[in-house]
Amino acid sequence: MMTKEQYIESLRKLNLNLWMFGKKIDNPVDDPIIRPSLNSFAATYEAAEDPENEDLMVATSHLTGKKINRFTHMHQSTDDLIKKVKMQRMLGQKTAACFQRCVGMDAMNAVYSSTYEIDEACGTKYHENFVQFLTRVQDEDLAVDGAMTDVKGDRGLAPSKQADPDLFLHVVERTADGVYVTGAKAHQTGFVNSHEVLVMPTISMREGDEDYAISFAIPTDSEGITLIYGRQSCDTRKLEEYNDIDVGNKIYGGHEVLVIFDHVFVPNDRIFLNGEVKFAGMIVERFAGYHRQSYGGCKVGVGDVLIGATQLAVEMAGCAKASHVKDKIIEMIHLNETLYACGIACSSQGAPTKSGNYLINLLLANVCKQNVTRFPYDIARLAQDLAGGLMVTQPSEADYMNPVTHDYIEKYLKGVASVPTIDRMRVLRLIENITMGTAAVGYLPESMHGAGSPQAQRIMIARQANMEQKKALAKAIARID
Amino acid sequence: MLHCTVKFCGGCNPLYDRGNAYRSIVNDLTGVAEFSYPEDGEQYDVLLILRGCTGCPYLYEDISATHRIVCASQAEADGAAAQIAKLA
Repeated sequence: MMTKEQYIESLRKLNLNLWMFGKKIDNPVDDPIIRPSLNSFAATYEAAEDPENEDLMVATSHLTGKKINRFTHMHQSTDDLIKKVKMQRMLGQKTAACFQRCVGMDAMNAVYSSTYEIDEACGTKYHENFVQFLTRVQDEDLAVDGAMTDVKGDRGLAPSKQADPDLFLHVVERTADGVYVTGAKAHQTGFVNSHEVLVMPTISMREGDEDYAISFAIPTDSEGITLIYGRQSCDTRKLEEYNDIDVGNKIYGGHEVLVIFDHVFVPNDRIFLNGEVKFAGMIVERFAGYHRQSYGGCKVGVGDVLIGATQLAVEMAGCAKASHVKDKIIEMIHLNETLYACGIACSSQGAPTKSGNYLINLLLANVCKQNVTRFPYDIARLAQDLAGGLMVTQPSEADYMNPVTHDYIEKYLKGVASVPTIDRMRVLRLIENITMGTAAVGYLPESMHGAGSPQAQRIMIARQANMEQKKALAKAIARID
Repeated sequence: MLHCTVKFCGGCNPLYDRGNAYRSIVNDLTGVAEFSYPEDGEQYDVLLILRGCTGCPYLYEDISATHRIVCASQAEADGAAAQIAKLA
């Protein structure tokens, strides 16, 4: 396995075509806007080195028998699925941000089992290709971005019916050695911090969409790939002279990028789906299921930090013993643990696929994610309620450091006398960061839309609910023939 | 000198600081027990298992040890050194 330092050095060797704020970024590793997201990703390497976290972070490869980072593991049991969720909660607690590596783990598990079944049905060699890729990922402990979401254009039209054919990523040229693809993937979490990208189709497909039913993996710095960095609320605070308190979370963060594929070559041995339209939906459904499970871990870890920050804020303000305050904190815990319960439940009810790796219970995973589209917002609302208006009206760190205004701020922003004012300011900025600053991208809208927007889960819940059986139960009790 | 090893639960939501508890136990047993992280094929006198809560079922049967001391709370960790010392 790579150490944290080896991972960071490996990123320096990438030659990404990355753009941000109108400029090309030649050194993303040391860029102050990007670095916190790298630190979060690096935490997935650092934690694997720590004996205190090893039991969650390290697994044994079913391919080679070697010790590997769990983020590159194919789940071999329900125990593995449960440990995945626990690992994600632990890392959410350590970073209070999106640590970005889950999407690749979920993509690899989905493509692993899907390629096995595609080969079985179609006589293709995709699983062999994928196992070769996976073995390298495990051996070299590579970071993999899972790329599913196309920009989609007109949502009412199929991929092949769009006015601009590139609005869904597709094959534009076929040669004896491979294919060339063009298109774009949106909202790509952690792409800048990844060595490889694993591309999947974004929706179920039908006859006529063959060029769009494509899955493959290539290096993130492949020729023809352009990255445009997504900006976040309050992001440029990281560039200010005083950028300690006001950023809320100085060390960790997350990122998303728009990834453009402009006539990018994919060699044959890196292709995992190529025109078999009826299997596009299988990859989508399995990836979405795994990723909906993931949110029952990572968001819970961030929620733990937010609950802790809120408790600190009310203690610093001297109102922690008020009954309504205690009740609201309890409500936050209840909501957070409900998400965790769903993550654990869908894992414990998982089952093996034909390929041997384990898939979560899809109904429970979708219920998990449906709750995630709501509860972090409720938790954030309660945090903002208890934090008070000072969270968004307190003066800047620069004013705190200015001798002219420092003493006024020190005096008038004081809460409980024994608590340094600066500590109170730090906690309030952390709550701001998670609920409306840079980390809110990961904690709120990502909870809404990541791994599929709410309606996508409702469709899956309807499909998986077994309504005929429920009607039969009611008929039996009501004595209806 | 007791030949001891330690396994941590992984730490998804620990109720106490397992690292501090471990360091305290090692310190209390200076001269009585020596701790190291598990090595394949090694036989230990004591396997100390530090769980963050009562939710983890693992006893790490693949680690060969004459005695297993399991702690799932700060209170249990506080008593672990005395338990191990009795085995010396």
